[in-house]
Amino acid sequence: MSIQFSLGIDLGTSNSAMAVSDFATGQSGIVEISQLFGPNRIGELPVLPSALYVPHPDEFPAEAVRLPWAGPDDDEPGITGQFARDHGAMVPDRLVTSAKSWLSNPHIDPRRPVLPWASEVAESKLSPLACSRRYLEHLKQAFLLAESAQGRGRDLGQGQIVLTVPASFNEVARNLTLEAAAAAGLPNVVLLEEPQAAFYAWTAQAGSDWRTQVRAGDVVLVCDVGGGTADFSLIAVTEHAGNLAIERISVGEHLLLGGDNMDLALAYTLRYQLEEAGSSIDDWQFLSLIQSLRAAKVALFSDPSLEAAPVTIPSRGSRLFASNLATSLTRGTLEQVVLDGFFAMTAVGDLPQESGAAALQEFGLPYASDPVISKHLARFLTRSLQNVRASEALAALVAERPDAIAGTFIKPSAVLFNGGVFKAGPLRRRVLDLLASWDDGRPVRALEGDEPDLAVAKGAAFYGRTRATGQGVRIKAGTARSYYIGLESSMPAVPGFKPPVKALCVVPQGMEEGSECLIEGREFGLVTGKPASFRFFSSEIRSGDAPGAVLPNAERELEEISRIEVDLPLVDGFAEGQVVPVKVNPRVTELGNLELWIKHTASEQRWKVEFQVRME
Amino acid sequence: MKESVKIAAILLVILNASLLVPAAAPYFDYLAITAAVVALALAVAAFAPAPKSVPKPAVAEAVKPPAAAAVPQNQARAEVVTLLGVFQEKGRLIDFLMEDVTPYSDQEVGSVARSVHQGCKAALNEHFSIEPVSTEAEGAAVTVPAGYPADEFRFVGNLSGQAPFTGKLVHKGWRVNSVKLPRVLNLEGDRLPALAPAQVEVS
Repeated sequence: MSIQFSLGIDLGTSNSAMAVSDFATGQSGIVEISQLFGPNRIGELPVLPSALYVPHPDEFPAEAVRLPWAGPDDDEPGITGQFARDHGAMVPDRLVTSAKSWLSNPHIDPRRPVLPWASEVAESKLSPLACSRRYLEHLKQAFLLAESAQGRGRDLGQGQIVLTVPASFNEVARNLTLEAAAAAGLPNVVLLEEPQAAFYAWTAQAGSDWRTQVRAGDVVLVCDVGGGTADFSLIAVTEHAGNLAIERISVGEHLLLGGDNMDLALAYTLRYQLEEAGSSIDDWQFLSLIQSLRAAKVALFSDPSLEAAPVTIPSRGSRLFASNLATSLTRGTLEQVVLDGFFAMTAVGDLPQESGAAALQEFGLPYASDPVISKHLARFLTRSLQNVRASEALAALVAERPDAIAGTFIKPSAVLFNGGVFKAGPLRRRVLDLLASWDDGRPVRALEGDEPDLAVAKGAAFYGRTRATGQGVRIKAGTARSYYIGLESSMPAVPGFKPPVKALCVVPQGMEEGSECLIEGREFGLVTGKPASFRFFSSEIRSGDAPGAVLPNAERELEEISRIEVDLPLVDGFAEGQVVPVKVNPRVTELGNLELWIKHTASEQRWKVEFQVRME
Repeated sequence: MKESVKIAAILLVILNASLLVPAAAPYFDYLAITAAVVALALAVAAFAPAPKSVPKPAVAEAVKPPAAAAVPQNQARAEVVTLLGVFQEKGRLIDFLMEDVTPYSDQEVGSVARSVHQGCKAALNEHFSIEPVSTEAEGAAVTVPAGYPADEFRFVGNLSGQAPFTGKLVHKGWRVNSVKLPRVLNLEGDRLPALAPAQVEVS
């Protein structure tokens, strides 16, 4: 069956969305997602909040919270979407949010049922992987329901499905995402980095005009700040034989910092102001304070003439007038908390504070310890320059504008904003001002995108069409990071001294889909019937490392992401317990995920290596 | 549909009556808006099963609810209740209307009206896409061509001759471009769903 449409799925940390693009008609649009609004109540929204609520067994009758596509037998516990988020906010021990961020958490096995995190009441817990699968199943069924409601009934097998992941996801998290998609029954899934999807959405929206809005030599910063995460990428525009070519040259680190942090910061400030004035509010009222502040924030950001916006916190009981609290959010407070708190005009040399007290932190998600996004952006641009300078091929891409890479950081010439946070004009302006201040006041352009909270899904659907039909511009990307296997140094043991772990580069940055290589020059001896395990590292700033390169100190230069394990079965011609000489054989599949294989040096036999997530 | 019209009428009477309370005068606007919200919401709910065909915006069409095989007798009533429940949940509209506002000061009524307005407006925008019938400014001279939809224009004053009619736009009118209503699943018998659940805090 030929591919007739593409379905872009933005599996977000706090909200998910879907867009579909039909090849025959050329039409594309957002798919409205059916979800529970309450017991026995269902409706459609353009987004599915990525929230999962585990109800008490006696809380709701099973049929009251059963979705139309679920049969009476598949009562896996858990409600996903709007009702889960709204109701779960009041019953936090039963609510799972940000499950996606757990996929890239190196300290937790994502297959272990640990969510809701630190909860002692939930009867049944879910693994981060299972949560992602549940969201994807919900999205799949909602798509099929929407199809049948519109009388079309397209089959998923006729579609190209594009699932977006943060650019900051490493290969382990990407593989887990694909695994969740397969378990959810989604066929034909390919992965796409979210900032790239945002860029595709921009080209789709600008139409053929996009070629006039960027030029060779441009370095575009995709600045994506969503509800819970911030994700940066740099995209270089070059010219080849009169055609513009686009290449992703750098990605940022996984940063758990976003719009929710801003709303919380505002709510804490207002609560403090209320308490100073002698009122106190309980947890429930605090939640409605956050809601009310969101509206006030939007009002102030969209109307520059307003000096303050009213904020009311209704009383909890049915008697609204009994203790309705009224206050207002002033422009001064808003700017102080959001603009100057998160987007301060810092210097480019002012990098985020590393958290010195990591040992004292609660063992949970590794939230960013420094809330100033400006500093994280400075760090990203500084590290991007290291990455671009490390490889001649990358440096050549930005050679048109030599001053872009002079100094200590890359100077982007244009910005594409994405994520709900940048619906606010003053925040977009602040980032542009910040970038200009870092480049002696030279202005930076903004590329006009649309609907920053739905662009990723739309861009993914657009990419799916480009990929399936072979028409349209593609961003050259490949693997965002280089990957390394740890080699334990053979040194004489010295008390109190740990020998450094060397690292062998097995996957270079930019390795393209559908390619593989063999690491020559280094042979490993594996024993049949005895599992061997290696430490696995990555870096997003070492574009110059070629496969087979050896780094002297992995722990200093690289980020450890997992352990990998290979269990050699009995091999023909070798007795049990005998050493088999093998080479490392990395492969990037057509779907865009990395596989490591171990190949017998003298034959064509090979074995797949499993990524095993580190547990501490 | 009779029931929903009745509910609409009752609510409108309540709201409009509250507009006549002299103490509420400075907050006339809020109450008027709230009244309009209820009026529209309910009018729309009453006519929802047969939405008028109007030009759709270029964006993706909203997904229509799948046709239920057997519609229970009180399904329509249950869905009106559910919609009211949305306005209660998002904007505490029922709490607001069920309370006697007479003992409270303008200041208090106004501050509550603000939060009711904010929540109900969000709910309204989530479920209906609303735009004025006429895009002209109120007070401007307008010409209405022949063959206008009867529900979209109403002529008052000295009407004679033939269409097109020309006159002063007094009220720009409202219409609904699309409706996206929550639906009720698994309704049991004649029972109507609760407007708002009683909340119990378990400690």
